[in-house]
Amino acid sequence: MTRPPPYGAIAEFAEAETLVAAVRAARAAGWSRLEAHAPHPVPDAAIALGARAAPVGWIAVGAGIMGAAIAYGTAWYLSVYDYPLNVGGRPPHAWPAFLPAAYIVGVLWAAVAALIGMLWLNGLPSLHHPVFYARGFHRASQDRYFLYLMAEDPRFEAASALDFLRTLDALRVSEVRAA
Amino acid sequence: MSVSTRPVVAATLRPGAWGFRLGLLLALAGVAVLAAAIAALLVLGIGVWGNNIPHVWGFDLIAYAWWIGIANAASLFAAVLVLRRHGLRTAVNRFAEAVALAAVLASALYPILHLGRPWLFHWTVAYPATTGLWPQFGSPLVWDFWGIMAHVIVTALFWYIGLIPDLATLRDRTATQGRLGLARTYGLFALGWRGSVVHWHRHQAAYRLVAALVLPLLLSAQTVVALEFATTLVPAWHQARLPVHMVVTGLPSGLGVVLAMAAVLRHALSIERIIDDTDMDLLARLLACAALASGAAYAHEIFTGLVFAKGAAQEAFTARAFGAGAPAYWGAILLSVLLPQLLWRPGLRLRAAVLIPVGLLAAAGVWLDRWSLVVGGLLRERLPTHAVAYVPTAAEWALLAGSAALFGAVLLLFGRAIPVVAIFEIRHEESLEDVAEEER
Repeated sequence: MTRPPPYGAIAEFAEAETLVAAVRAARAAGWSRLEAHAPHPVPDAAIALGARAAPVGWIAVGAGIMGAAIAYGTAWYLSVYDYPLNVGGRPPHAWPAFLPAAYIVGVLWAAVAALIGMLWLNGLPSLHHPVFYARGFHRASQDRYFLYLMAEDPRFEAASALDFLRTLDALRVSEVRAA
Repeated sequence: MSVSTRPVVAATLRPGAWGFRLGLLLALAGVAVLAAAIAALLVLGIGVWGNNIPHVWGFDLIAYAWWIGIANAASLFAAVLVLRRHGLRTAVNRFAEAVALAAVLASALYPILHLGRPWLFHWTVAYPATTGLWPQFGSPLVWDFWGIMAHVIVTALFWYIGLIPDLATLRDRTATQGRLGLARTYGLFALGWRGSVVHWHRHQAAYRLVAALVLPLLLSAQTVVALEFATTLVPAWHQARLPVHMVVTGLPSGLGVVLAMAAVLRHALSIERIIDDTDMDLLARLLACAALASGAAYAHEIFTGLVFAKGAAQEAFTARAFGAGAPAYWGAILLSVLLPQLLWRPGLRLRAAVLIPVGLLAAAGVWLDRWSLVVGGLLRERLPTHAVAYVPTAAEWALLAGSAALFGAVLLLFGRAIPVVAIFEIRHEESLEDVAEEER
């Protein structure tokens, strides 16, 4: 029986700066499907990988405006159109009184959308991922940094990927295979 | 695992110490009292409380406004720390968020319970009912429904987003220790976090965004509570300055509780290195500053009440400040404005024996202010009947003590199940310090 092909190749680093250098080297060498893992934010590595945070903000702003509009629209529909109530001759379309709820609901939608949008852009929740097979990967949430070259990369070939990673000043280089 | 975060993880994962068990036992006993008080209210009706005409509101609204104030100040503090990327945030923002969440849960009880028929609280939601009636959007009570709900959800989100990477750390730690059941539980809530730097990038954006969204929400939460008072015709309440007054005078309560909690936690969990003396010093000075701001609000209130107010409004203020309500009014100023000024003395800022009582008494002082506003505002009867003094009943005291116990129980369980300080932020800070050292 032949072994299934590996999910990719991975290198482990002790320092954030080595990881940033490794990511830059991998991008320069033409790798396109790669992921870097760290126990804390490493903005330089994220930027080197072309990450953009702005979409999270746009999702939140869009959802916030929509939430506020729906809340205001509901108040208008109920108080002006469906069941206008004459209280001492006050206008049914009391826009100042409709604002607090619209504002609060807008903020609520924006905050919920920031979380959901962030998770959606990140492809989470996904409780399983091949990189969890990598040796010692549990330390990615503690004190080690990883650079993962995925097998989906068109130029991926196990031997050449490992050779490339060995040039990067890594603590350990290994294939990622199902346990 | 870096050396300094080890005690945090260890404190989360080690079996309960006797102090924790005793505390939790007491808190759960208090929660049982809370359940009994709620059951009495539901079965016997709102008559078990001391409320009556003219005192339509009593402990219910006092405690509600008070807990909201604690939640607000604690989340304001956490949000500002996250937004400013302040060094202190690593130490205290996580449990400031937890304090806010526990306080908002305690506060959310009251507006539902004070409805009289709490099981019909869903009538405040706009849904097509067989009664054919809709909620009245001109009423602050309807804004409050949205305000509380948004406050609970956004506070919980703010806390949870920051927690996701730390849950992944606990997942991996427990998995290497072979505690698979626990690892699966943490793993489920960590949502498969794998520390990808691209994920981190968006995570940080979302975290700061929600922190920024907490700020306008806090303003509105306390303001809507104040508007419930201000839109009535009661002279002591019917003031445009009330929303600002409640936001500002609420600050010492939340900061006081966070300060007392920090003083307790650093000793109880032996994490003095992480919540260090500089953190405590800064937090203590913040409380003293908030107390000064609160003092300015009181000064404005006294000046307005004595100089600008006319007729009924002036009478209402003098009754609160110099009449039967005077002990509560001046007690509030003493405890929440003057007492925290002690913290300007550097020697006192580092003593837990000083910080814990000063922090908790500041919170108690804010409670007295809410008493003065709610009960003192209604002291004067404007109908020619005899005015009856408001006396809280045992059921109301049980409810207050029970909600405090609920607050304590939630915090104790948080402290056990999840890291009390943000692990990933400490690591981040340390790696930045390493770089700075190398460059030196």
